[in-house]
This record gives sequence, structure tokens and C-alpha cells, in this order.
Amino acid sequence: MILYIDTSSNYLYAGIVKEGKLQAEIKKEYGHQLSQEALPEIVSMFESTRIVPKDITKIIVVNGPGSFTGIRIGITIAKVYAWSLNIPITTITSLEAMAITSKNDLIRVPIIDARRGYCYATIVDENDNFILEPAYITYENLKKELEEIKNYKIITNDQDKVEVTAKTWESYNPDIVKIVDKYKNKEELNPHAVNPNYLKLTEAEESRNSC
Amino acid sequence: MKEKKDMIILGIESSCDETSASIVKNGTEEIATVISSQIDIHKDYGGVVPEIASRHHVKNITIVLEECLEKANMTMDEIDAIAITYGPGLIGSLLIGLEAAKTLAYLYQKPLIPVHHIAGHIYANSLVRPFKFPLLALVVSGGHTELIEMTDHYKFKKLGGTLDDAIGECYDKVARVIGLEYPGGPKLDKLAKNGKPTYKLPIPLHDDSYNFSFSGLKSAVINLAHNEEQREHELNKENLAASFQKVAVESVISKTRKAIEENKIKYLIVAGGVAANQILRKEIENLGEEMNVEVSIPPMKYCTDNATMIAAAGYYAYLDGRTADLSLNSTSTATLK
Repeated sequence: MILYIDTSSNYLYAGIVKEGKLQAEIKKEYGHQLSQEALPEIVSMFESTRIVPKDITKIIVVNGPGSFTGIRIGITIAKVYAWSLNIPITTITSLEAMAITSKNDLIRVPIIDARRGYCYATIVDENDNFILEPAYITYENLKKELEEIKNYKIITNDQDKVEVTAKTWESYNPDIVKIVDKYKNKEELNPHAVNPNYLKLTEAEESRNSC
Repeated sequence: MKEKKDMIILGIESSCDETSASIVKNGTEEIATVISSQIDIHKDYGGVVPEIASRHHVKNITIVLEECLEKANMTMDEIDAIAITYGPGLIGSLLIGLEAAKTLAYLYQKPLIPVHHIAGHIYANSLVRPFKFPLLALVVSGGHTELIEMTDHYKFKKLGGTLDDAIGECYDKVARVIGLEYPGGPKLDKLAKNGKPTYKLPIPLHDDSYNFSFSGLKSAVINLAHNEEQREHELNKENLAASFQKVAVESVISKTRKAIEENKIKYLIVAGGVAANQILRKEIENLGEEMNVEVSIPPMKYCTDNATMIAAAGYYAYLDGRTADLSLNSTSTATLK
């Protein structure tokens, strides 16, 4: 019985998967009310089934990149849950979840806009190997990375902001069963060590480093 | 009489740069407390950087909770309720404690008690001795400068507060002008001991209200330092520190005196980080003697941010029927009610 949580964007995505079958899921847009609603939504997801929190045998939580506050909300819920009930936990990046959801018929390029000419992106080939590991990268450099690749598809929910082009575009709507299946045997982590993967320093750290 | 059952509360505090958890019995007896401070991290930036603070809270939260339970030799099942600082404070920081508290409240089916950060500072005193009413609380910290009257437990009436900077914030900024490292307030307090109040500075908001203002005083110190530099006079740092302290403390004392007089206060408590200030402590004690008012200043460990005070306040909040459901949210600006 696996619990999946992703709060890295404006959406709350969560699901409970049992032996490859979805028991319940949430896909809702929240934005600023996420901190208020994430836990009540997860509670009502449980209540829509006969499953109780201690039935969960593994938690898979998205650790970023994406909205800093959003990631922290999901990570905090997941790590406190895993730590207090002693449940195995593992993490997945939002970009990998995007790649897994999309069919592997082409090279996949999941992109999350990060403003000011930057994005979070990865490039994954048809065999699920990274051509580019998840990175905080300028669109300019991402373009360079894509120059050599003949055919690829971009997976994003920020289509109007993304500054690279592609023949094929896909919007992102997570296939929770597929993601969970891919990650269900991934090595478990100490809950204390489950932390956001921001891929980006804070502005204060950046400006200090550039001094 | 029916025997009253003990109430064990787990408090969680993460409103600024301290991640803290504490277990308190019946609002008065501290069982265990753990505080993870980020002072050394933020020191390099000359103040608390909100995004960095949030990042450290999320790293620390389960470690702090685990250490607290271990120290108390207790399990979550032995906890009767969870008290959480919901505001005011840095929103990104508050949210980490909040989500942790809500998750535990759900998993263990425990009542969730929202606690205002200032109520926490006030109730730090209940860990020392019982309250007597009517009571006046002077809250002085890096984020707050307030006079609050209480006629009973959890009956708060704000008499006045700062119109701009908090006193602790002003201390830290003036300390920076003098060249002291963040957090400079306590260092300024030390430095002032060796100085004399030779520099003339205006007493802030010397009026008929219960309000405070510290931004003008801060500017006055900055201008004074600047002028002395232009005239190539060497700045006597000890004397400047002493001059600043004198007017800052005088402003607080005069408004507190007025509040005691006009509200027939019998019991005065001081709360918040600046309650650690030596001159303020001394002047408050003198004021208590002068006005025949009992004074309570908590020990240093309860003055700065900690979850012990949140668990203590949580007990009285619970008795007052204040619990929340899992849709509780954090708020950066919350009014004490």
C-alpha cells in the first residue's frame, strides 16, 4: 500500500496505490491555500477508502524542484508521517515524475519555468537514462543541450513561459500508478534525511557567493 | 471532588529561526525541551534570511521532535494534545511547524491547539509562578513591543504596541551601526555597561498613548554616528550604547508605568527576548517596587523563542476551548485575541 504526495506546483497531487491499482487520488489546484488544504485533502482521501494511515507500507514524496513553499509542505507532511509511524519513505523529483508519466516513444524534456530566463529541466532518453540530469538551467543553455537532439517532446504546464521550442508538446497530468510502480522498490531513506531538492540556492546565498 | 487528570501537551514552535519542541505538563511543569537555533547560520547575513530559515526548519523538524520525545522518555501515544504557533512570524518558517503539528494531530487523533506567539511569550511566566489578575504583560522582542492587559487566563486586551520597528529590531540595527555582529542586541547591552549616556537622543513617542515608536530613535543614532564621522570625531561606542539604552528603556518604562497606574495593575510580567536585557530587568524591578506591583521576569531560557512557552500557553488555550481542525493555517500577522 503506497502513498504518493506531490505538492511541488500549484497543484496537490496525491494517491494511494495497492498492488498496482489506484485506491484513491487527489488532483486539485490550490496555489496559496495549499498549506491549509493539503492535509485535510489527504485525510479525506483516506476516508474515501477503508485504508488508515498505518496501513501504508511506503511513502513516495516529490522533493522538488518547483515551488519552494509547496515542496516543503509535502516533504514536512511525508517525513513527519514516515518518522512517527516508522514507515519506509523515498523521494522522487518532480521532473522524473513528469518523464515517467509521459510515454517513452521520444526523448522527453520535462520543464518547469523558474522565471528570469531560468527553468528546471531534465532530458531523458527512451530507455529512461538521463541525457541531462535534473538541473536549474537558463533557457539559453537548455537550447544548446537540445541542439544535437533531432526529435524530442516537451512536457510542461508552463507552455506560455517556456522559451524553447519543440514539435511535440505535452501538458502534465501525473499518472500516479505509473510513477509509483517505477519507484516502489527504490531504496528507502532515513526520514530525517528526506529534504527538498530545490536545485537552487536562496538569493541571499547566491549574492553572497558572487561577492 | 473529582480527581483532575494530568494534561501532557507537545508544543511546537518555528516562527522565526528556532525550531523547537517541548513537552509540558498542565501548563506549568516542563518535562523536556529541544531548541535548534540557526543563529550561527544567519549571522553571516546580518539578520534572519526567511528562505534560509524555512529550509533549516524542514531539515530539523523530525530530529527536534525525536530528541524531545527521547529526552522526555515518552512516545506520541502519551501526548494528550499538540500546541502549535500559528503566527505571527515568518510565514515560510511557521508553515513547517504547522504542517508537522497537523500531521501528528491527524495520525495520533489528538486535539490541535493554535497558539499565538505572543501568548506563548506571556505564558512563559506560568512556568515560573501562577498568574494573578489583573495582569499587565510587557512583551519586548525582536518582532514585538506590546503592552497587554489580562483580566483572566486567555483574556487579552492590547493596550498599545509599536507603530514601526520592534524594540529588539531597533537594538540589532543600532548594534550594527556600532559595528557589533548580529544578533547585536545582547552585545550592545554589555557594551553599554562600560559607557555613560553622554550623547543626546530623543525619547521616542513621548506622548499620552500606550504606543511605542523606535524607527525615529534608530535614525537618530545613525545620523549621530554619521555626523560624528564627518566631523572626524571618534565615536565613543560605549557611551553611544549607553545613551541609546537609556532612552529606549526609558520609553518602555514610562509607558508601562502609565499602564499600571491607569489599569490598577497588581502583577507585571515581562516577556520576549529583550527581557534578557540587564538594564531593562533592573528598571522593571525598580518600577515594581516603586508602584508596589509584583514583577515576574522569566529566566533567560524562556525569554527567547522556545516551544515550552507554546505548550504552556496551549494548556490554558485548551481550557478556554480553543482547538482547531486540520485546515488551520499559519499567518504572518495575527492579532492576539
